[in-house]
Amino acid sequence: MIPSAPKTIWSASVNGQDVQAIAPSNAVLLDVLRDGVGMLGVKRGCDLGTCGCCTVLIDGEPRLSCLCLAGQVEGQEITTVEGLADGAYLAPIQTCFATHGGSQCGFCTPGFLMSAEALLTKSQTPTREEIALAIDGNLCRCTGYQQIVDSIEAAAEIKRGDAPAANPASDPHPNPHPDGPDEPSMPPGHAR
Amino acid sequence: MAGGYRQQPGASSGGTRKDGKRVAGKQKFPPPGSGGSRPNMAPRDLDFIPESVGGKEPQPAGSHIHDRYRTGTEVGKSRALVDSHAKVTGQAWYGDDVRLPNEIIGKILRSPHHYAKIKSIDTTKVEALPGVLAVATGADAPNTFGVLPVTKDEHAMAVEKVRHVGDLVACVAAVDEATAMEALNLFEIEWEVLDPVFDPRKGLEDQDEPIHWRGKYHVGTTNVQKRVFQEFGDRSLVEDPTASSHGKWRMEGVHHGFTEPHAVVAHWDPNGRLQLYTPQQVPHYVHRALSTVLEVPMHQINVIRTFVGGGFGGKSDPFPHEMCAAILSRKAGRPVRINFTREEVYWINRGRHPSYIEVKMTADKEARISGFDIDALIDGGGFASFGHVTSYYNGVLATAPYELGSFHYTGARVWTNKPASGAMRGHGAVNTRCAVEVGLDEMAEQMQVDPIDLRLANLLPPHSRTISGFRITSNGMREALEKVRQGSQWDSKFRQMPLGKGMGIGCGFFISGSGLPIHWDPNRFPHATVHMQIDMDGGVTVHTGAADIGQGSTTAVAQVVSEVLALPIEMIHVRSHESDTSPVDLGSYSSRVTFMNANAAIRAALDIREKLLNAAWEMLGYHPDVLVLNDRRIYYKHDPAVGVSYLEALHKAQEDKGSLISSGAYRSPPMGGVHKGAAAGLAPAYSFSAYVAEVDVDVETGLVSCTNVWAAHDCGKALNPLAVEGQIIGSCHMGLGQVLSEKMVYGRTGHLQNANLLEYKIPSIHEMPHVTPIIVESSDPEGPFGAKEAGEGPLLPILPAVVNAVYDAIGVRIRDLPLTPDVVWKAISAKTKELGGIDETEMPSPRLEHSPLQSTLVARASEHKDRDRRRQRSEDTTAYVNGVLFGFDPNQPLEGQVEGWKSAVEPVPEQLAELGLAGKAWLKKEQRQMGGEQ
Ligand code: FES
Ligand code: FES
Repeated sequence: MIPSAPKTIWSASVNGQDVQAIAPSNAVLLDVLRDGVGMLGVKRGCDLGTCGCCTVLIDGEPRLSCLCLAGQVEGQEITTVEGLADGAYLAPIQTCFATHGGSQCGFCTPGFLMSAEALLTKSQTPTREEIALAIDGNLCRCTGYQQIVDSIEAAAEIKRGDAPAANPASDPHPNPHPDGPDEPSMPPGHAR
Repeated sequence: MAGGYRQQPGASSGGTRKDGKRVAGKQKFPPPGSGGSRPNMAPRDLDFIPESVGGKEPQPAGSHIHDRYRTGTEVGKSRALVDSHAKVTGQAWYGDDVRLPNEIIGKILRSPHHYAKIKSIDTTKVEALPGVLAVATGADAPNTFGVLPVTKDEHAMAVEKVRHVGDLVACVAAVDEATAMEALNLFEIEWEVLDPVFDPRKGLEDQDEPIHWRGKYHVGTTNVQKRVFQEFGDRSLVEDPTASSHGKWRMEGVHHGFTEPHAVVAHWDPNGRLQLYTPQQVPHYVHRALSTVLEVPMHQINVIRTFVGGGFGGKSDPFPHEMCAAILSRKAGRPVRINFTREEVYWINRGRHPSYIEVKMTADKEARISGFDIDALIDGGGFASFGHVTSYYNGVLATAPYELGSFHYTGARVWTNKPASGAMRGHGAVNTRCAVEVGLDEMAEQMQVDPIDLRLANLLPPHSRTISGFRITSNGMREALEKVRQGSQWDSKFRQMPLGKGMGIGCGFFISGSGLPIHWDPNRFPHATVHMQIDMDGGVTVHTGAADIGQGSTTAVAQVVSEVLALPIEMIHVRSHESDTSPVDLGSYSSRVTFMNANAAIRAALDIREKLLNAAWEMLGYHPDVLVLNDRRIYYKHDPAVGVSYLEALHKAQEDKGSLISSGAYRSPPMGGVHKGAAAGLAPAYSFSAYVAEVDVDVETGLVSCTNVWAAHDCGKALNPLAVEGQIIGSCHMGLGQVLSEKMVYGRTGHLQNANLLEYKIPSIHEMPHVTPIIVESSDPEGPFGAKEAGEGPLLPILPAVVNAVYDAIGVRIRDLPLTPDVVWKAISAKTKELGGIDETEMPSPRLEHSPLQSTLVARASEHKDRDRRRQRSEDTTAYVNGVLFGFDPNQPLEGQVEGWKSAVEPVPEQLAELGLAGKAWLKKEQRQMGGEQ
């Protein structure tokens, strides 16, 4: 093994949780988040600051975690895609990406979600141009962006309260506990 | 019966939290099998049940054989992809997200030379580095592989010689990445550097040391990997043309640019079986290649396809790094993970071939297209990959949608010392399509007719045959053209806009699954197989090998099963990740998945449906013909109250055997001609598309921006309109990149200069025009519920539409792609010089004054429109083959035709002198004729 930089204990708040990770002092935030903290939802598309897949929120601001040393954000509040949902309940932006075609292969999605979320916390009435400016650091090869912008617009509408939130049927983790044994029975009416 | 029939007793709606949200793990959920969180049967959705079976869904293209299995559940409804929640929560696991206990990191040593022999590799120092756990070189895996069985020319790592900068030389696995990187510096290699070839035109000449040696099939001693010659139709028709176009094109290579770099994890489990995790479009070929390279039987290998972060053809070859990971892991006895950097992604490439294309086209006095003459020289880079097929596609996929008097194609693919080209969205068809569509535009200009009318008057009808013998079934080309004409207000804008603003048209057609599968004997095995299983709880598990690469194939399969069985889609679980559990699937390429897998899935579901209906028959006493399958309930047609729930029927059906199990398969019908290469481009159906693009050209800087696109695509039937639109817009994006900004730049020294996403210019959101996707549904007779492909075809028309629009804007035809500002500006300044040195801003814009031919075309188009309608709806079932427009008799074989009509797949000696650039490959003889093996 070649000698590495001295290991330090890195601590920050990730998705509302105080975390600590042992990392070399020169570690890049993306690596620490993925392998130290286990947030594999943060994607590595290029490692060069060119694709936006690794976008996370640092104190609410979208930043490229591949261009950021972990040490720089020590003690700060970091939000990754894993932190968007409230337990099993998806944030409006997540539901809308699903229902409006904002995600095809999905690899760019975590990055877009974070950029979009940052925008929507600031403004709930963004124009399409403002949305474009907010996500222009993110690259998507599948969607051609149009349905991503649609998704963000739809999420803004929900956040403003102009549209109802997702219906409960989209609950991703329904509890399959039966009320009783699964006994088939005749429906009401007059089945023979 | 408002609300429908309750499916199960005791099911109540979910519990809620104070703030109105339902609590995970707490809410009541109906008993298993009753389906999702809806306790009651939903009423039949008549809007999604076709007219022909009593619903309200209009069917302008006629009824379909699958209509009677429509239940109004899923087909035709825009819906989220079934795996979208995994994607938006960050839980989708891509190649780089696989973490196995005790894993180590692999790294690859890549060639610094373009072309060199490896005289020796000394690994002593590498092995001595603490932390290095395994080292491998070409000697560890001498067997060759390749995606096509006819051209297996790749090794896991270079054996004997390297063929491009970045070619794999050796690999190491170490405890961490830093150690592995350090180890790469310790290899001691003795090279003998050879003379590289970069220019494909040079590759046509004899070399001292060809890049590969194909034995008795080698063409001279050149670097020609594949050459193709095809000639059909009546060549005499091209004489005395009324209009002609002759274009010489140069198209740069482009890359798929998927966002997920390749990554692979290999692990030999304690039983000695290989588990390989990889983001692959075609897991089955990797499976085969691994077996060959590692010399392990296929059943001892389990290929696990992770989520795929974009493929577009770029993840469809079996890759050497996948072999490397397996070899390293076998040596080290620990799981090995290899992640690519973005740069390595470009080294492995497989993007679109850099091409030199020459197209000569002619039209006769009635503005019929009398001849297409295409010559395509394509640069294959270091390996064959899909090149054999690409060589054909460059020609044969230009034989529709127009009726041609004659067709002449020469193509050659040449090996060069660059990263290998391969298959990319629109495989092989994109570049020539651009060239011929621009040629048509030019001929329309010469004849002073509207280019859309020129096209409308020369289309092949539905249920016809192309000049090369492809069987066209459904055909929505005409409707697509009409819709974009209308949507874009073409008639009031084309050739009427001021300088710098322009509008152009382009068309395309593409295969919906290849009729002849690679690696498969079509007579013995089906193209696609789907297995299905329903246990007591009523959930349906579908096993398919179809690789979802973001296009939504898993969703398509779930949708059709859900539709046939009338079950909520949450009850359908598609398993497609592991080769251990999925039936063999040929993979996600040639746009085959929806067509073939959904067809197989329908068949499997029909088997189950029949069992359920028979059970209900036994319980209710009504014959299945009078039973209706609706949301989790089967009932008597005339009295919905008389019926059984899905679970009851299921349990009845399971009485004897337990789980219901079925299997469905799809095989394309026998078709096509018998000439050499007849199978290339054959497909059970073809998609059609027409685009109008609007551009702004800044005449002072040469900057082209596309502002609007009207994109009509005939996908047969949109199973999921949202996904089809997504494919159309995404295709526009990728095509726009190729036509405006993307290129792989090789410097004078042959080095790839822009192997990163900053300098490889993929359009960002600011470069994207507004796209208006228009779905055309021609209902294909063999497609699942009428569907055809929508993933690749939509890419083709955008290139020519933009190039033609640029002409409309500034009156200059540019045949160098991409149209970067420097290229456009050069063309503009040449034009201004030609016009006597006028200022760019004073250039005249092209205008259109209709000639008398225009009315001939309009009349013919309207006649043909009627013909097409009758053929589409099967009111007219007479034979139609390409050439009828020119007097060809479809009821006579070729030999029985009047003089002139012919078909040839090799040039006659007299032709040799006049062949184009790629045609020069025919000047050399195959070793076979020169006396065999060397
Ligand atoms: S991985 Fe950070 S921008 Fe690409
Ligand atoms: S969805 Fe595939 S890159 Fe954006």
